[in-house]
Amino acid sequence: MIKHDIELNVNGNRYSVSAEPQRTLLEVLRDNLGLTGTKEGCSEGECGVCTVLLEGIPVRSCLLLAVDVRGRKVTTIEGLAQDEGLHPIQKSFIEQGAIQCGYCTPGMILSAKALLDENPHPKREEIQVALSGNLCRCTGYVKIFKAVEALAGK
Amino acid sequence: MRYFDYVEPKTLDEACHVLKDHEEAKLLAGGISLTVLLKNNLLAPSHLVNLKTVPGLDQIEWVDHDGLKIGALNRHRDILHSQSVRRHFPVLAEAASKIATPAIRNLGTIGGNIAHAEPSADFPPSLIALNASLRLKSPDGERKISIEDFFTDYYENVLTPGEILIGVEIPPLPAFPGGTYIKLDKVTNALAIVGVAAVLCLDERGRCVHAGVGLGGVASTPLKVRKAEKILLGEKLNDSHIDQAAREAQAISQPTNDVNASAEYRKEMVYVLTRRALQESLRRANANKP
Repeated sequence: MIKHDIELNVNGNRYSVSAEPQRTLLEVLRDNLGLTGTKEGCSEGECGVCTVLLEGIPVRSCLLLAVDVRGRKVTTIEGLAQDEGLHPIQKSFIEQGAIQCGYCTPGMILSAKALLDENPHPKREEIQVALSGNLCRCTGYVKIFKAVEALAGK
Repeated sequence: MRYFDYVEPKTLDEACHVLKDHEEAKLLAGGISLTVLLKNNLLAPSHLVNLKTVPGLDQIEWVDHDGLKIGALNRHRDILHSQSVRRHFPVLAEAASKIATPAIRNLGTIGGNIAHAEPSADFPPSLIALNASLRLKSPDGERKISIEDFFTDYYENVLTPGEILIGVEIPPLPAFPGGTYIKLDKVTNALAIVGVAAVLCLDERGRCVHAGVGLGGVASTPLKVRKAEKILLGEKLNDSHIDQAAREAQAISQPTNDVNASAEYRKEMVYVLTRRALQESLRRANANKP
């Protein structure tokens, strides 16, 4: 079994990991780097709890091999909060009551960030499409959409 | 996942040779379909060859009189946003928009979507209706085939050992085009139960000068409905032509029962959706005609 030396760029930090090519990005983030904000759900790319940003766009870390993202910019939920405290999207989710169990939340927030970075004034329908790959079993989605709408133009 | 050796080829020739030398090697593009199979141990390749490290397979280029050349590694997202695609073949962008969810569209590739040969895949029906052809590269050279000849069975295609799908080519459409892709799904953008693509082109007098009908999800491969196309070509289209064409689509379909829908339902819906797709394409073609 050959392990590959993988240089990862996660949240602006460089990490060196030695791993077999079978290891998914999700496994490496959680088990090697201790970044457990990204979750495992369906393991097949359908539920969205494993969502991370790859060069700013949402992808499924459970379907990416760690070797495949060498050197490319990965952003996890841990990468959002800066020295000044929580990211505005995180604050908006709290303010709007858009979090219940919290399991879908990291993926939701990252998908929302990618949307707002590209389209700062999304309409309700555009938010629904952008978040269509993140499933939530608790909230019924309405407060999540409101949390994103409340950020329009900010 | 079982162990595999991981290869990052620098050139297409290198990729072809690894595949040819190792019968059990598989290509990695977007990984959307492949990785799921690997995780379930439904596939245990000896080598995984990452095609994305080969440069030059993600171009989209329109050449006047020749048509659109799309590299196989273009992601669904790239097809959706491409100005060239939206201008010349908007039905392809429509198909891309109906594939799964944003994160999947950000990774999955058009080459992978075609090569995986899932009968319900979203690109083949539109590409069939557009008379697209595929560029296949092997250690021995290159060949081009019509897309409808690429598929042989569920998840099976004509690729020989060492051969790679590298591009899609779509010839220009005559006169005034209208194309539609209708996808019947249980949940928005889930795997198609039935997929119908219809492309019609009208001349200045309103006669049909191109007709393409492609079906997904109703047989072991995507289908081209040549009999429907013959009925439509050359005519000033009315509802009777459309109805006959839709009946031909129904006749050629051989769907099976599965967890998503019965064969009987698919057989009924392919008629309904082909009618709708043709009506909408006719409407769009007329709207394009001054």
